[in-house]
Amino acid sequence: MTVFKAFLGILKKNIFVVLLYVAILVFFGTFNFKSGNQTFNFEATRPHVFIVNESSSLISQDLERYLRERCEVKEIDEKNIDDALFYRDIHYFIRIPLTFSQDEKVQVKSNGNYEASLGSMYLERYLNLYKIYKEYDLEEKAIIEAIHSALDHDVTVEIHSSLDSKSLNNAASFYNMANYTFLAGCVFVICLIISSFKTEKIYKRTLISSMNYKKFNRYLLFSNALFAVFLWVIYFILSFILVGEIMFSGYGLLYTANSFLFMVLSLSLAVLLSTLIRNKEAINGIVNVIALGSSFLCGAFVPMEFLPDSVLKFSHILPSYYYIKTNELIKGLEVINFDNLKPILVNSILLIGFILLFIFLNNLISKKKQKLA
Amino acid sequence: MFFHNFKYTLKTLFKNKILIFWTYAFPIVLGLLFYFAFSDIEKGETFKVIPIGIVQNEAFLNNSFYQETFQALSKEESEGQLFQVAYEDEEKCKEMLQKKEIVGYLNLENPSKIVILENGINETTFKFVVEEIESKNKLFQSLLEANGSQNGIDENFIKQIYESVMENRDIPIEDESKSNLSYTMIEYYTLIAMACLYGGILGMYAINQKLANMSTNGRRVSISFLSKFKLLVSSALAGFITLLIGVLILFLFTVFALHVDYGNSLIQVLLLIFMGCLAGLSLGVFLSIILKKNENTKIGIIIAFTMFCSALSGMMGITMKYVIDKNIPFLNRINPANMITDGFYALYYYDTPDRFYLNIITLGIFSFVLLFLSVMVLRGDAYDSI
Repeated sequence: MTVFKAFLGILKKNIFVVLLYVAILVFFGTFNFKSGNQTFNFEATRPHVFIVNESSSLISQDLERYLRERCEVKEIDEKNIDDALFYRDIHYFIRIPLTFSQDEKVQVKSNGNYEASLGSMYLERYLNLYKIYKEYDLEEKAIIEAIHSALDHDVTVEIHSSLDSKSLNNAASFYNMANYTFLAGCVFVICLIISSFKTEKIYKRTLISSMNYKKFNRYLLFSNALFAVFLWVIYFILSFILVGEIMFSGYGLLYTANSFLFMVLSLSLAVLLSTLIRNKEAINGIVNVIALGSSFLCGAFVPMEFLPDSVLKFSHILPSYYYIKTNELIKGLEVINFDNLKPILVNSILLIGFILLFIFLNNLISKKKQKLA
Repeated sequence: MFFHNFKYTLKTLFKNKILIFWTYAFPIVLGLLFYFAFSDIEKGETFKVIPIGIVQNEAFLNNSFYQETFQALSKEESEGQLFQVAYEDEEKCKEMLQKKEIVGYLNLENPSKIVILENGINETTFKFVVEEIESKNKLFQSLLEANGSQNGIDENFIKQIYESVMENRDIPIEDESKSNLSYTMIEYYTLIAMACLYGGILGMYAINQKLANMSTNGRRVSISFLSKFKLLVSSALAGFITLLIGVLILFLFTVFALHVDYGNSLIQVLLLIFMGCLAGLSLGVFLSIILKKNENTKIGIIIAFTMFCSALSGMMGITMKYVIDKNIPFLNRINPANMITDGFYALYYYDTPDRFYLNIITLGIFSFVLLFLSVMVLRGDAYDSI
């Protein structure tokens, strides 16, 4: 109780910094989050294009109409086209020249990504048909009719999935960001509080007390758990508000259980680091290196599928990898049953292993430091 | 005295581990993390061969138009390879789809349909190609009908029409795309900008040691006969040199270890780094003089200000820079991190130097205004007792 009371006292003293830090982290964790609902009908991906149509011919008007039907036409200032292409606001720029029907070329600019290729395919398809019909000396109106007739074929598309993949993706990316929030939050706040216990005079006073170092460590761990649970509860409540309905399903339960386990891991790591670090000024640097490092290397900020294999191989030694991997596995579960849950259970056991290792190391280092003091 | 103070300020700065961590080590660590995380991200947005399935039933086996087209589009190692096709029965295709081994499958049995798991660009491309094949099929039939009555239908004529439909024409498109389109470069540019502004901590620390209201050292120096101006200028210069060395190390690290592209003009890049360091130092000097707070609070304010400016210039996602540039351009015009980032962007992406020099001028104005204000505030400072 004495340890817990002292913990509360220090927390109260630093409450402004702690709340500010938590608010910044939670804001950062949810900043890039976009929600959206799954549709079970086919919706084609629409490349973002910018069209300048200088011609008033019938064929150019029809080409523009055709592109508008298939693409998301953006309205931006023409002088900003190059910036818009670079920053992927538009994928493809099309200028239909004044003398388009007299064979002047259509000017395009692309940013070379997949959507730009799709925009290019739409344009080429129309121009190809136009060229073919032109070879047969048809009138402009007849060419347009013939193009319409050739394009008038919509293949049926069926979606065979019971998964609300959009919501599951949202939930996974939301909880992946928790990797940074939990690690940075726990390490910063817990190290800040425990460093007060480790100031020379107080530390020596604690050492000569009758309390066993293991018991002292246990009390500290439980006291700090209060803060870690507080952080987890904020994230848990926010997930229901931001991710939505899917959180009330079995998937939601798996995400919250996994995040709870990671919260305990962050707590045990923070307590271990606080035993290692005594310098208050160094905390900020260590928080940034550990939390940012594991978040970048394990796929919290950039999805795992985009990380190089060598980075992913290395990240196997970090606990964040197993936490994020589990989030990724959950979103792909067609059915929640024991067989499908096996890889998730393996990851959870590994996380528990890391937690036990951190607690063991903390006790070991405490004992050594006690002897040295 | 100028060199004496300069030398010892330099020594003090290099011996302060926390300062050196934030200005030298942290940007390099962050740069490495960017490199690990972003090195493959742009590959993800370029086109990859799409795995699909086709149900091998009677409808498909009797349709040579589809067979030949899909064969051509799935020819391995060819330039035009779009698909990797698995020809299986419907059950197997379904199984492969559930295991996500294919993005979808085509069943030509009446009515023909595509079956997919979710919406996406691969699925859209698959649908587009099937529609394209169908429209060419229609075109072939319509040309055959329109011209067949005049020419009579013989095999050569059919072949001629077929080739005319399938021929890759010289489509009248002129591609004027730029070549330097790697948007992850912006992240590295913001890193340099961040390092320049973090350098404000060095300037602040160096000046604090000479201010009577900030440190014991400052009080001692103030009552000495030494010229205050000389002391402050030599301290600021030591801070500037320390910062410049740090940013140059970071620049070399990004070029040789992280392969960051800064365009072709080294002189202009170095000029921008110089101006960026000057802006960072001016910020540190200004805040250290204007704020009557303790050193830790000042460091906290510089870090918070730097992170805020870096975030607006695209460090936490490049879209932020574009959104601000587009909607609140004034905010990024006065944001020193954006001036540095935008200067590098201009050198990398644009062929003309106008945008680059605009950033150099605004950085110069930013530094001049802050230094001028600092001198104005400091000029009146005098203490009877402290």
